[in-house]
This record gives sequence, C-alpha cells and structure tokens, in this order.
Amino acid sequence: MRYIYKICVLFTVLFTVSCQDDFLDRPSLSEISAENFYQTKEELRLATAALYGKPWARWHNEAYIPLGDVMSGNIIIPYQGADLVELNTFTISGSNGRSYSGWKGLYMVVAHCNTTIKGIENTSATIAEADKNAAIAEARFIRAMAYYHLALLWGEVPIIEDNTKLITSPLINRNITADVYRFIAEDLIFAAENLPLTDAPGRVTTWSAKGLLSKVYLTMAGLGQSGGTRNQEYLDLAKNTAKDVIENSGLDLFPSYYDLFRTQYNDSPESLFALQWTVGAGWGEGNMLLTYSPSMEINPQKDGGWGGPLTSYDLYLAYTEQDSIRRKANFMLTGDHYPELNAAEGGYTATNSTMKKHIIGNEVDNNAPSMTFTSSILHTQLLRLADVYLVYAEAILGNNGSTSDADALLYFNMVRERAGVDPVTALDIDVIFDERRLEFACEGQYWLDLVRLSYFNPVKAIDRLNNQQRVTFEYDGDTKEATPNDPIGVISPATLATFTLELPVSEVIANPKLLEPAVAYY
Amino acid sequence: MTLLLQTFVLMKWPSVRRWSLLAIVFMGLSAVPIYGQNIPVSGVVKSTLDNEPLIGVNVVIKGTTTGAVTDVNGTYKLLVNSEDDVLVFSSIGSITEEIKVGNKSIINVDMMPDITALDEVVMVGYGTAKREDVTGAISSISGDELRKTQPVTFDQALQGKVAGVVVQQTSGQPGGGVSVQIRGMSSFGNNSPLYVIDGVIIGQGFDSGGGTNPLATISPSDIESIDVLKDASASAIYGSQATNGVIIITTKRGKEGSPKITYDYSVGMQQLIKQYPTMDLQEYAQFINDRAAVWGFDERPEFANPQYLGKGTNWQDELFRNAPMSNHVLTLSGGNDRTQYLLSGSYVNQEGIALGSEFTRTSLRLNLDNKTTDWLKIGTSLQLTHVDENINSTGSNVIAEALWQTPDIPVRNPDGSFAGEESNEGWIQKRVNPYAMALVNKNNPKRNQVFANFYAEIAFTKDLTFRNEVSGNFSFRTEDQYKPKYKFGLAERLTNEAFYSYSQDYYTTFRSFLTYAKVFNSKYNVNAMVGHEAQVSQFENINAGRNGFVSDNVTNIGSGDAQTATNGGTKGDNALESYFGRLTFIYNDKYILTGNVRADGSSKFAPDNRWVATYSGAFSWKINNEGFLKDVKRINELKLRVGYGLTNNQNIRNNAYLSLLGTVPTALSGSAQLTTNLGNPDVEWEKTEYSNVGLDVRLFNWRLSLSVDAYNRLTNDLLMQIPLPAYSGASADWSPGSIGAPYINIGAVRNRGFDLHLNSTNINKGDFTWSTDFTLSHNKNKILKLNTDGASLTAKLFDPEQIVSETKVGGSMGDFYGYVVDGGVFATASDFENHALPATNDGVTLPITPNSGGVWYGDLKFKDLNGDGIITEKDRTYLGSPIPDFQLGLGNTFRYKGIDLNIFFSASIGNKVVNEMRIRGEYPSTQFGFLKALKNHAVLALIDPTGSDSDVNNVYVTNPNTTIVGLRNTNGANQNQRFSDKYVEDGSFIRCKNITLGYTFPKELLGKIHLENLRVYANVTNAFLITNYTGMDPEVGSWNPLRAGIDSGFYPQARTFTLGLNIGL
Repeated sequence: MRYIYKICVLFTVLFTVSCQDDFLDRPSLSEISAENFYQTKEELRLATAALYGKPWARWHNEAYIPLGDVMSGNIIIPYQGADLVELNTFTISGSNGRSYSGWKGLYMVVAHCNTTIKGIENTSATIAEADKNAAIAEARFIRAMAYYHLALLWGEVPIIEDNTKLITSPLINRNITADVYRFIAEDLIFAAENLPLTDAPGRVTTWSAKGLLSKVYLTMAGLGQSGGTRNQEYLDLAKNTAKDVIENSGLDLFPSYYDLFRTQYNDSPESLFALQWTVGAGWGEGNMLLTYSPSMEINPQKDGGWGGPLTSYDLYLAYTEQDSIRRKANFMLTGDHYPELNAAEGGYTATNSTMKKHIIGNEVDNNAPSMTFTSSILHTQLLRLADVYLVYAEAILGNNGSTSDADALLYFNMVRERAGVDPVTALDIDVIFDERRLEFACEGQYWLDLVRLSYFNPVKAIDRLNNQQRVTFEYDGDTKEATPNDPIGVISPATLATFTLELPVSEVIANPKLLEPAVAYY
Repeated sequence: MTLLLQTFVLMKWPSVRRWSLLAIVFMGLSAVPIYGQNIPVSGVVKSTLDNEPLIGVNVVIKGTTTGAVTDVNGTYKLLVNSEDDVLVFSSIGSITEEIKVGNKSIINVDMMPDITALDEVVMVGYGTAKREDVTGAISSISGDELRKTQPVTFDQALQGKVAGVVVQQTSGQPGGGVSVQIRGMSSFGNNSPLYVIDGVIIGQGFDSGGGTNPLATISPSDIESIDVLKDASASAIYGSQATNGVIIITTKRGKEGSPKITYDYSVGMQQLIKQYPTMDLQEYAQFINDRAAVWGFDERPEFANPQYLGKGTNWQDELFRNAPMSNHVLTLSGGNDRTQYLLSGSYVNQEGIALGSEFTRTSLRLNLDNKTTDWLKIGTSLQLTHVDENINSTGSNVIAEALWQTPDIPVRNPDGSFAGEESNEGWIQKRVNPYAMALVNKNNPKRNQVFANFYAEIAFTKDLTFRNEVSGNFSFRTEDQYKPKYKFGLAERLTNEAFYSYSQDYYTTFRSFLTYAKVFNSKYNVNAMVGHEAQVSQFENINAGRNGFVSDNVTNIGSGDAQTATNGGTKGDNALESYFGRLTFIYNDKYILTGNVRADGSSKFAPDNRWVATYSGAFSWKINNEGFLKDVKRINELKLRVGYGLTNNQNIRNNAYLSLLGTVPTALSGSAQLTTNLGNPDVEWEKTEYSNVGLDVRLFNWRLSLSVDAYNRLTNDLLMQIPLPAYSGASADWSPGSIGAPYINIGAVRNRGFDLHLNSTNINKGDFTWSTDFTLSHNKNKILKLNTDGASLTAKLFDPEQIVSETKVGGSMGDFYGYVVDGGVFATASDFENHALPATNDGVTLPITPNSGGVWYGDLKFKDLNGDGIITEKDRTYLGSPIPDFQLGLGNTFRYKGIDLNIFFSASIGNKVVNEMRIRGEYPSTQFGFLKALKNHAVLALIDPTGSDSDVNNVYVTNPNTTIVGLRNTNGANQNQRFSDKYVEDGSFIRCKNITLGYTFPKELLGKIHLENLRVYANVTNAFLITNYTGMDPEVGSWNPLRAGIDSGFYPQARTFTLGLNIGL
C-alpha cells in the first residue's frame, strides 16, 4: 500500500486545482461593462460622444432624405424600390420600409440616450454634479431631437425613458402628442440649463438646446389649433428663446452657404447640432449618403454611387435665377460643373438634375484617405443658426397676417443675403415657409415644416402639397429650359391624414396595444 | 399498453409470426415417441451471424457425458440411444440450443450469438453500463452502421438511425453543418445536444452557423460507437450542458493481439438533384417585352424577335457541376497485455457541387492504453485534424446567386473574358456574374483542431477506482479572403481588398471521479460514483483588412496599402464548475434503481444566480428475470424503464446579465463608448422537467428487438434573447447601432412525444439473411407561456421585409402566419363587388384603379378571415408548422453469401416549408429569379377594345385561375407579395438516403493472396427524393427555431455515387 500516499497527494492536487473562489468570475474581456464604466468625467464624455453618430445611422441612411424631402416633394427617387415611390405618390402603407427605418432608427437614438442617462445617473463614482448633469444634458438634448422627429412624423408615439423596463413589460401604449412635446421641452430646458456655453467643436451647448427649444415652442404654438392662429404664449416663448440664442450666443452665420456643406468647414460656428460622422464606420454604421452620388466616378474608390435622387420640377421652379448659390449647393442641373468633385480628374459635370447636398467627392478631395462610400465624413447638420433666425422671424410674425418688424426682417434677410438674394420688406407665413424650403432643401426639413403648418393651418398645408408638381424634369444645359416629366405614379391627393404616418405594421403585430387610443403620460 | 404494442408488432411482421407458429408446430410433432438404439446422428453447426461453420461446439446428449465436438467444417457425428434423447449444443459466445432427436438422422443447427454474453456496454457518462442494466433512454449506433451511408461528417449519418433524434442538413456544402435536435426544441437558442468525444466536451458555445461544421473535423472511420442519451435520467449526470441531450462518441481503440492493418478507400461523384425551373432566353425576352409594354419602357432591341433567340444561359447549369470526392483511411492497431494502440490517418477531399466550394480534411489519431502497474492504467485519445475549405460565393444562398442572373447574359464573352450585364437601361440592375465571382474571389478558411484526452485510472482495490482526466479541444482557425478588381460588363469593382482573421478557441476540462462497484451476496449490485469537474472556455480572435493591392497574385495583408488598414478583435471566456454523483443499485438482476445529482456553477450568471442543481432518478424492472417469465425462451429481454429528472440550461452569451459598451468611431473623440446590449441582472438558468417511460423487448432468440419510449419535457424559464418591438431600440434583427436585445427567462414550452426503434431479422435461412431496422419519432411542441399576455416572437423575411413566423402561446415554435389567397386574382368586375379589398390601418379601403395606390385586375385576392369586409393584418392566420409530425427511418439489409445490400430511407411527415425563392421569383416586377411560373401571369384584356382600360367594367382577366399577379407599372398597394399560404408548401418527404451493394471475398480465396479481409462496394447517397415540395430540397435545417423551415435558397444536398474497398491485412 505504499502507493496510497502518492495517490492521496494526487487526489488532493486535482480536487483543488480548479476550486479557486474567483473561478467563476469572468468579466468581459472585449467590452466594458456599464457597471464599471461612467467613473470619470472623461468616461462620461466618451459615452455621450457616441450619441452623435452610430445610433442615428439607420434613420440617417434610410429615412432622413426620403421622409424629409421625398415626401415633401423636393426630391423624387423612382428607383430603389416601391417604398420611395409610395412616398412620392402618398400611398404610404404601414409596411413602407422607409417609414419603418425612420421609426426604428429614431427609437434607437432614444434607447441609446436612455441607457446613457441611466448609466450616468446610477454611477457609484463621485463625479462633480455639474459634470454629470452636463453629460446627461447632452443625452437629453439628443433624445429631444429624436422625439421631435417622432412627434412630427407619427404624432402619438410611446414615450420611453427607461428601456430596461421594457424587458419585463414590453407592450406599452402610445402617448398623446401634447405630452410628447412637453417631454421634449422638458428635456431641452434641462439641457439648456446644464450644458456649457461653449464646448469643443461639434459638441452641443446651451445654445443648441435653446435653439431647438425655440423651434419646439413654435411647433407647440400650433398644436391643437386651427384656422391659422397659434397659441400666443408659446409664440412668445419661441420668440424669446430664439432671441436669446441670436443675441447672447455670440454665434454668427457662416459666410458662405456653399461651403457650409463641405467637409473642410464641418462644425462651423453656425452648426448647432451635427452628426459627427467619421471614417472607419462599417456598413450602415456611418454616413452612407454618398450612395446617393450621381456617379461612381466622383465617389471614394469610385464605388457605391447608386444613382442620384432626382430633383422635383416643383423645387426647381422654387429657386429664382438669383438664388443660384443655394440651388447649386442643393441640387445639380445638367451641365453644372463642380470643380471640387474628383478635382484630380478635372471635376464633375452634371448629366442630370440630382441632389448635390451631401455629395462631397472622393477621399482625395476631402483629404481623408480611408474614407469610403459607406463612411462619408460630412457632418450632417440637423440644427443650424439660420434655422433659429427663421424661427425668430416666424415667432414675431405669429398670428399677424404679415409683419415688417425690423428684428424679424433683419435676421430673415441675413439668411437671404448670405445666399446672395435680395432682401424682402415684409413677411407673411408663405414667404417664411418658402424661404425655409429653399434654405433647408435636402436637409430633411420641409416635411417637418409642412406637418408643423398642418397643426394650425391644415388648409394651407394641404394646398401646398396638392399644388405641387411632384414630378421629375429634363433640363437642357444649353437652352436652360426645363420640361416636366410624367409622374412616376398617380399621386393621391393629400388630406389631413397625409400628415401622420401609419404605424409600422410589424410594430402593430408585435404590440397590438399601439392601436389603442393614446394615453396621457403626465 | 405493453401487450398492445407486442400485438401490434407481431401483426406488422408476418414473417416473425410465421416463424413462431412453425416453432409451435415443430414442438407438437416432436412429442410422438419412437424407440430405437444407437442411432447415428450427424449435422453441421453454423453461426447465424455470418453463416460460417462453428468450430469446437460441444454436442452432448442431455443428462449424459456422451458427446462430440464439431470439426473445422462445423460437422459432428455421434450415436444416440433413443429418439427421446435431447442434444445440447453449447459454445462460448453462442446461445445454447437443445434439440430433441426425433426421427431425424441429420440435425443441422444454426446457433445464435449470445448477445448478453458479448457484454454490450453503453456509455452513460463518467462510466459505462451493461446495455441490459440501463435505466434511461439511451440509443446506440455502431460505427459500422454509421459508415453504411458513407458520410463525410458523422452527424449527417445519424438521420433516421436514432429514434427521437431529428437531423437536418443546414447546408449541403462540403463539410457543411447539420442541425441536430433530440426530442424537440426546448430552447429558443441553440438546441444542439452536447457532444462528448472520448471525454472531450465540445463546448455548446460553438457557433455552428456560417455553413461550416465544428464536428466536421472528426473522421467517421475512427468511430467505434455513438451513444445518444435522450432523457434526463440518462443525461443529468452531464448537468447543465445536457438539457438537449448528449451524444457520446467513442473512437476505436487497439485490442490485444497481432497487429491489424486496414485500408479503406472510396471515390465518388456528386451531382445536383434538382433545379429551379427558370425561364430560358426566349421566354425571358418575351416576358421582358410584355412587361416593358405595360411599364411603358422601350423594348430592348436585342429582344425584338424572341423566337430567333437561343436558350441563353442556364445559370444553374453553370454554377453547379458534377464534383468528385475521395477518401483514404489507414488504420494500424494491436497491442499486448500491457499496451494497446490504434493509429489511424485519413484524408478526405470533396469538391462541392457549387463552383468554388471544396473541403479537405487530413486527420491523425492515436489512441493508447497502458496498464502501467497492477493499480494504474493510463492512456490517451489524441486527434490532430487539419481542415482546408473553399467557400467562395457559396454562402447560405448559393441558389439565390444562381437565380439572380438572367439568361441573356453569357458566362463568358467571345474573347474568353467573363461577361456581365451590358445594358444600362432603366430597371436593369447590375448583377455580378456569379460564375466569375466563384472563380476570382478567394474565401479560404483553414482549421487546425486538437482533441486530446489523457487519463490515469487508479484501482485502490478491485472495487474502488479513481480516474483523473484532462481533456482539451483546441481549435485554431484562419480565414483568408480576397476580392480582386474586376469589370464584368457594367458591373465593376474598382478596388481590391483582402481580409484575414485568426482565431483560437481553447476548451479545457479537468475532471476526477471515484467509482465504487461491488456485488454483495451475488444479489445486490452497487455502483456509486462521485466526481468534480471544472471547465474553461476561452476564445480570442483578431482580424485585419487592407485595400489597394498592386497585384492579384500577392494578396497577403502586408502587401496592401497601409493607409487603408483596418483591424479588430475580441476575446472572451466562460467557466463552469461542477460536483456530481451517481448511485446505481441492482437487486437480483431484476430491479435497477439509478439516481444522479449534479451541482453546476456558471460564470454566465450574476453571482446570486450562479449555482443550480440538476438531478434525476430512474427505475427499471427486468420483467424477463421474474420467475413467471424465466422459462419463456422466446422472451430474451423485457424491461420497463421509468425516469424523471430536472436539467438546466445556460446557453446564452457571456455576461448577458451586464450591460456592456463597445467602441465606435466618432469625429468628436476618435472613438467613443456605446451600449451594445441591454443587460438583465435577473437572468437565470432555464429549467427542464423531464419524464420518460420506456420498454425494451427482445424476442425469439434476439431476432426481434423493440424499444419504445414516451416522454414529456416541460421547460420553464425559457432563456431567450427576446426580440422586443422596434421602439425598444433592442429588436433582434440586424441594424447597425441597435442595442443587443436582453436575455430573459420568458416562458414555458412543452415537448411531448414518443420514439420507437424496431430491429428484426426477418429471414435467416441458409446463406440468406434479411434484417430490418425501423425508427419512428413523434414530437409535439407547444408554447405554454410567454413573458406577457398576447406576446409573440416573430421572424421576418427581408425582401420584402415582413413577418413570416410567430411563436405564441398555444402554438409551437416558429409557426407560420400569413394571409390566405382566395382562389386567385381579381378577374371580373363582380370580383371587386363580392370580394374584400385591402384597407389602411384606419379601415379605409383602397380604391379600385390601375393607378398607384389602388387595387386592380390581376392583383391577388386574399381571404377576409375575420369577416370585417376588408383585408388588414387581422386577416393573417396560422399557415402551418415547420416541425414534422413524424420522422421515420427504414433500413433493410440483405445478405447472400458474400453479397450484402443495404437500402435506407428516411422520411419526414407533416412539416411545412416556406419557399422564399418563389416570393421573389414569381412576382412580375422581379429583378431576378425569373421562374417559368411567371409565364402564367394574369393577362388583362378589354371587353370593348375601343373602351377605356381603366374602366372597371371594361376589363377582365383571360386566365382567371392563375395565382401569378398581372403586370403593372404602378406600385401594388395590394401588396401581392405579402406572406401568404401561396408560399407555404408541404415539406413532407421520403428520401432514399442510401443504397449500398457490397461483396466480401471468401476467406479461402483471400488466404491465397495473404489478405485478411477484402470488401468492395458501390453506394448511392440521396438516390431519390419523393416530395411535393417544389423547391430543391424540403429538408431545411436551422439553428434558430424561429426561422425553421424557411428555404431561402440554401446549398442543396447532392446525390453521390461512391465506389470503395476495405482491405484488411
């Protein structure tokens, strides 16, 4: 039995080899866990920085232009599927893929903001309250931006503040539109109070929050109204908030409208909020708008230009001869030359009337060697100072038929003069909405403006749509003559219902409670 | 129940009944006494096993010492005293036969091998048990049985062979994966069983997706046996990893004796069984012309006269080929009383039937056992494998690739270069020549895999042994991809790019267990085992990519443009620690009681939820050993088994209880941290209660054996990554930037069913034997509970994006839901009056107009199932389940002298398959996949040719019975492609899985050329398929139960012809 001793040793060794207490503690080796992140101010900044990009990608790549500009009649995309045709012809069903992308994409932004806010709120680390609040304020600003789009597109939508609650109770009701706007306003008020006056380029500041807040107030002024008048209280709030930004921010319009949309001038002082796209994003994760390039030749690696969105005849007609700076920055006409697109090979001469905004040329033009067509480095501006100027003028106009208020005219005409067009001497609602369309064409704005208009003046909003020529056109570069084409489908007349998108069918199937009447949130 | 089953069996098998009747008649006749003395009796004794003469059989007159022994020819001679004498034939390894002499002078005897005497053992986990003492539901299959179907990977061969095990091919790609489910799906995640190969656990965390198969590294020729542990009483000893059953693979080991050398060789040819009927060039041109006329496009000039065109390119012909395969296995084994060894090497090369796919496996195995001292035994199982694959453009949708192309495009231009779409007119999308892509692109994964198990077994006493094992499964993979620049027609790629990745997975296990086995009083048999096990699984990978290669000939990453470099990588690990024990108690060889208990701790859960207990108990009763049956010779075994247990499952991603953040690029700070998943701190073990009742019957000298099991598995706290609605930001479908859905314990599912295995030797006469093997499995899956009332889990199709399956309470996993087509298309004016029209969510019906947004002639009529007069999503209904009602396997083996013939069928009954190819290929606006069925699209005509073509009263459809919609130039608000019963097909099939004809040369002949053994054979795999399914193959495996039965054009199984030989030296 001499071996028994040896065996006992072996026995003991083998039984204890794996019985360490921490044997089963296996923290992730590739990712940081939320439980041990959010420990320093720098980490909070890293968390909020992520909210300026990837979470927006789905909406940005698939819904931004389609819902904002195709639906509003600025742009027509007859190819790339029936979804885009439906947006042009107002036959948008609940199974429209672009509508679903918008819905899903915007709620993705909300979800990321919510988890970031909860992560910061629940941190055990001792970080200065002001720093924590500033980070939360960034997330709440971005969340407000997403909800603002959701409210304008779908009206009654569910308000979600804590996504972890959906783990146990995923089936929720929609909330009434007024409460959605109240929620947005509260986020923005918090943001305005807690964001810094200035920050690194690209980061939102208190002025970003106040700028968006003025726009939200202006929207709320029309909500539930009719007959063309708006709630004066909110009009005043809109006016005062915009005025605060204009007078106290120290920010100015960027001198060149054209350069505002070139990557060299990303995050100019005029930009109040822009998506911070950069190189290195994978498929669908970055700025994919270069897929709208009219030619492979001018794209990075000469790849991925799937055909430019066509400009509508209606938008073409909206620009005067004098308004060529904005026109040329927004869309091309056959024969237009763009020396900066594929500059090395002599620039690009347009062969059709396609969208120019967001088309920035190739990696050499932008001095970004690893830029690809899936990762354009142009920062997409979702809020500009010019917008606040026009909001200010509109808030001053308020319920008046027209105005020649000096302040209103001053800022309104600053926008026009920057574009090289003559100033106006009086403002009315049509002048303002027309100007907004020209200034923000291909920035996803015009549909939002029309919905806003439909709140208090549905007749005018419907007329604007039904009087459009929502067709493509041929442009002769030599004679400078444009001829409208046939519609790509029979366009259904717009009604009040047109201004509210149907809920995505798959969402309704997944949660039938969405079809129940909306409930109050507060 | 038992009697009923027996009766059923006897009625179904007339040959058996006849045999038993004959036996009774024979016994009656022999009762007549005839007197005499010193009567000579002689005869030949043969074995029923191989019909060879048995040498050295003792033949004794019962009650005397008088007798004889058979000679080398199996013959005997002796003198008996009277016709009443009884001859007793006995031999080790055979069942003793007693035959009354009667009036015969020649008595030939065929002796049955004594199967119990062979001590058939079954792997039960951390030990073995005699087959007859097993209490759980365990099915076994021998390596020889497995190799009858000539599989490249062993899991392919399990289909239909083991009752209760559903095996479905997920890709017919060489070395491609199969999904294996034992007794239904109890989990929303991977339902794969646990594989244990010579003690090496193949971690459940393996990713079977992507077409490649982790089990493909094991050469089927090395396998001695496979034991499938089906119920909890059998599998509970493996604890938390065993909730979906356990498949234990034992490889061959050396045996004491002179060295044996065997060489197996086979060569084969594979071919595509079936094609999708696509339009030829004439049909395509005609269709495009018709469509262009309706759409208002100019006719394509080259299509002006379709009748003068040829057939064009059949891309399926081009992309698929007859592909060769070959297989070499050399095995050397032997040993002495101290050391036994087995060394084998194998090489398999299989080209895929799809261009550009290839699988090569080289493996080396060394199994060693050494009895070092009287008390110590050590040994190893070691396998080294190298797998080299090409999976060019042959991902999961190779069929879709082939259908994507139109027949007007040639494969090559006249100058030999690859061709492509040259037309740039509207609505023609630039497809890339798939033939060219398969040849110019490179996607070359390689794997090196080591399976190793070392053991040391110490015998303290005769009864008490202690075994230590260290085992590992180490896998090293590289993936080498390169895409060159090309220009095929208008399709052009202006940059080349390379991608290279390296990953390594370590799965290590340490285990020790102590076994005590003793028989007391020759009546009480006790077997007890306790042990400890620790497992760690680690993975790491790194990848790199670059563009801008100067030459397509030098494509290593370093040769690319450094400025375009990208890289990435991940790491992770998880651990499991367990304590376990088993007690088996056998009383008087009649009653057997087994109990298992195991405690598992998993790193995947939050500290409070980490540990869980698994247990099971089983009882079996060997009825045939009871006094009242003891003398009934025809019943060799009659055993009743009852078992119950609780198992747990932890099959979720690591760290699912935490929210994690990943790195994303941003212009603000270079990189930033973004939430990647929604952690659920409360997530815990999934629990399955499992009960099983079984009966094993063996009759008539083992000629008929039957096992029947009925079971009930109830799984609670189902673990799932739950797809929340899109507003959660955490839905399941892929979307960049979305948050990974949380893992939660969401509900309950029940699997109930039975399985049956019948084996019978129908004829055993002279040189001829015929035996039959039959399996039948039935499983009913039912969702009992989900997290919230009215919740459903959905799976989507992507083009167009829509829900195809819904899993909800009362139904089963992955049930298909959709609309029902009501007869056909809108064909007459009265159809519009009498039939419900689609409506918006607000209930407004769509206008009847050929314009955009309206419903028009040639649109599909859908059934208004809820009777509200409109078609909305409320009219969706249950369209069937992808889960079969029954799965069957039927094998017949015939032997005549040296000839053997094996024919094996597998069948599946009652499952539905979604033919996704038709959703796109039968839609007139399609851009690809122009199926012949499109020719029958609804054709609109005018009643008054001079009247308006938009007047609802002036149009009709000339072929009103068609279900193919009409041509329209406006978008169809009717959503004709919405998911409907039109695309759900009956997936039942009978597959002739295998036919093998072999010839074994006679020993006498081989002796002259100094060969031990020589067999030649010819084999056909997938000889034919009987099914109503219109796609290529209704067997559509999926690892995701929510996406089961969706045929999106995956790599089909090939028909294979093989010729082979086995040589033994």
